[in-house]
Amino acid sequence: MESVVIPVSTKMLFHNRLRFAMTVVGIAIAFFLAAAQIGLLVGWVNTNSAIIKHANVDLWVMAKETRTLDYGTAIPRHRIQQVSSVEGVKWAEGMLVGWVNWQHPEGKRITVEVIGLDESNAGGPWAMGSGSVESVHLPETVVVDELSKEALGTLVVGDEAEMEGKRVIVGGFSQGVRTFTAAPFVFTSLENAIEYIPYYRDDEISYVLARIESNTDLIAVRDRIAAEVLDVEVLTTDKFAERSVKYWMLETGVGITVIITAVLGLLVGAVIMSQTLFAITQDHIANYATLLALGFHHKTLRQIVLAQSLSLGGLGIIVGLVLFVLACKASERSPIPLETTPLISLGLIVFSLLCCIGASWFSIRAIFKLDPVMVFHG
Amino acid sequence: MRRVLFCQEISKDYGSGNIVERVLKRVDLEFFEGQASVLIGPSGSGKTTLLSILGCLLAPSDGQLLIENSVVNFSDKSSLTEVRRQKLGFIFQHAQLLPFLSIEGNLALIGRNAGMSSEDIAQRLDSLLNRLEVFQMRKKFPNQLSGGQRQRVAIARALLHRPSIVLADEPTAALDWNTGRAVVELLLEQARIEKAVLVVVTHDTRMLPLFDRVLSIADGILTEQYQTAAIATTLITQS
Ligand SMILES: Nc1ncnc2c1ncn2[C@@H]1O[C@H](COP(=O)(O)OP(=O)(O)OP(=O)(O)O)[C@@H](O)[C@H]1O
Ligand SMILES: [Mg+2]
Repeated sequence: MESVVIPVSTKMLFHNRLRFAMTVVGIAIAFFLAAAQIGLLVGWVNTNSAIIKHANVDLWVMAKETRTLDYGTAIPRHRIQQVSSVEGVKWAEGMLVGWVNWQHPEGKRITVEVIGLDESNAGGPWAMGSGSVESVHLPETVVVDELSKEALGTLVVGDEAEMEGKRVIVGGFSQGVRTFTAAPFVFTSLENAIEYIPYYRDDEISYVLARIESNTDLIAVRDRIAAEVLDVEVLTTDKFAERSVKYWMLETGVGITVIITAVLGLLVGAVIMSQTLFAITQDHIANYATLLALGFHHKTLRQIVLAQSLSLGGLGIIVGLVLFVLACKASERSPIPLETTPLISLGLIVFSLLCCIGASWFSIRAIFKLDPVMVFHG
Repeated sequence: MRRVLFCQEISKDYGSGNIVERVLKRVDLEFFEGQASVLIGPSGSGKTTLLSILGCLLAPSDGQLLIENSVVNFSDKSSLTEVRRQKLGFIFQHAQLLPFLSIEGNLALIGRNAGMSSEDIAQRLDSLLNRLEVFQMRKKFPNQLSGGQRQRVAIARALLHRPSIVLADEPTAALDWNTGRAVVELLLEQARIEKAVLVVVTHDTRMLPLFDRVLSIADGILTEQYQTAAIATTLITQS
């Protein structure tokens, strides 16, 4: 690269400071839009699979064709014993999921998702704000999340409400257990859950959670359970998480909408970029012709345009990234978190920079067509 | 005297197929070190076309151009750029300084592109701007200068990298007579100091007595009128 590229391209950009600032802001907003959409998606994916991932078990045994954790259906309770007797299984417990009505103390009725926990509380909340998870094993006692205090109308430990017409007492508040559906999670014991969920019999549960012996092959154990236990499907934790996420993202259409919005955000950014860069290049076309006549190579001028698009894009992305990080922080304790992973962030940045380079195509073409002989014709 | 520029039977056609217009007809010309020529002729006679060919900006249809005894290869864009970068200096009707660079910046850019060292650039910049009486303006931007000042900066820019040929197309057309004459006098003086070949296109016949040679073009045919007081007077009365 010629040493004049950087000074010429930046001076040219800074010459019209207002437009420079507007372009950077435009690109920043477009980048933020895309990042926020993708962040929303990641946040939702994490929310979707949070209970599955935090249960810290290896295998999930469930009724066939269960589409997502939230829509578990009844299987006999003695599947727990059957699973735990399979070779390679170290530990197995049950879990129950059901949907019931919750009576807000002020009168309105909402739907909640009850999670019934076995002895060791696998599948339960992983962080507590107040009270303890153990309280779910007390009669009529539940744990709800701090995020749904208002929705449920229970504000402190000891507050009471009604579920399916029966009394419930809040024994503790968990932290950061978000729901992807509108229904808040209500954690309690298997025994309590069966009392509240009218469509489960005493000898039924939704899932068997299993941990395997160390030094055993996960897939082999999974296949053995599937072969030895009747009428169930066995999934590894990763597979079950993936299936739950896919259900909500793809089958309900939520994910598609989010992905489309993210792509639109990036497109808008690329168009803003392309237009501004082209306008800047056009404004300076006579100057580019002068430079060509005075002995600058076409290549150098193309590098100037590229340097401009990368610096506009780079600055826009940095500003957009700052906005995104602030939004992530702000949304941490909200029901709709923005989250990301290093790989996704990197991918988005690289993709955005590629969009910027693509956006300079029209400008580069204009430079390419430029004939320095025009300098003498004004 | 060293021959710097040699035009050998150069012709130029515009258009294609049946509507070809021959704008330059077998132009033969030699220019020697330090020689200052003025090119005159009616509008549309081919002055800018000839200057563009001399400046390696436009390929002739026939004939060849030699700069310092080597033939210019018009089919190789990159070598044309190199010739312009090293051997040529241009002055346009409107100074065409880059608006986003200071006067200093405008000059330094050309120096850097020509591969001059920073010290050399600084030294040349000081002496040229001083000689052209725009040294005080060096930190300013082009839009803060008058037309005459801009044209003087353009002269400095054209000479900075010590080109052996300086070409100017109507450099004074946008200036009043007094300012224009002052600019041309400075241009001539500086080109002589630098021993550069100078070719200036102008419509202003009052300028002619200032030059060593008067080249006149009409209908694409170039004729040379030797500079004598008599011819100069005839030309002035004709116009
Ligand atoms: N790119 C082009 N394509 C076709 N014809 C052209 C082109 N450039 C110039 N011409 C024609 O060539 C002829 C010479 O043009 P040129 O610009 O060299 O004239 P000139 O002597 O510089 O005139 P002026 O004094 O008005 O600047 C004119 O008839 C013009 O119309
Ligand atoms: Mg002309």
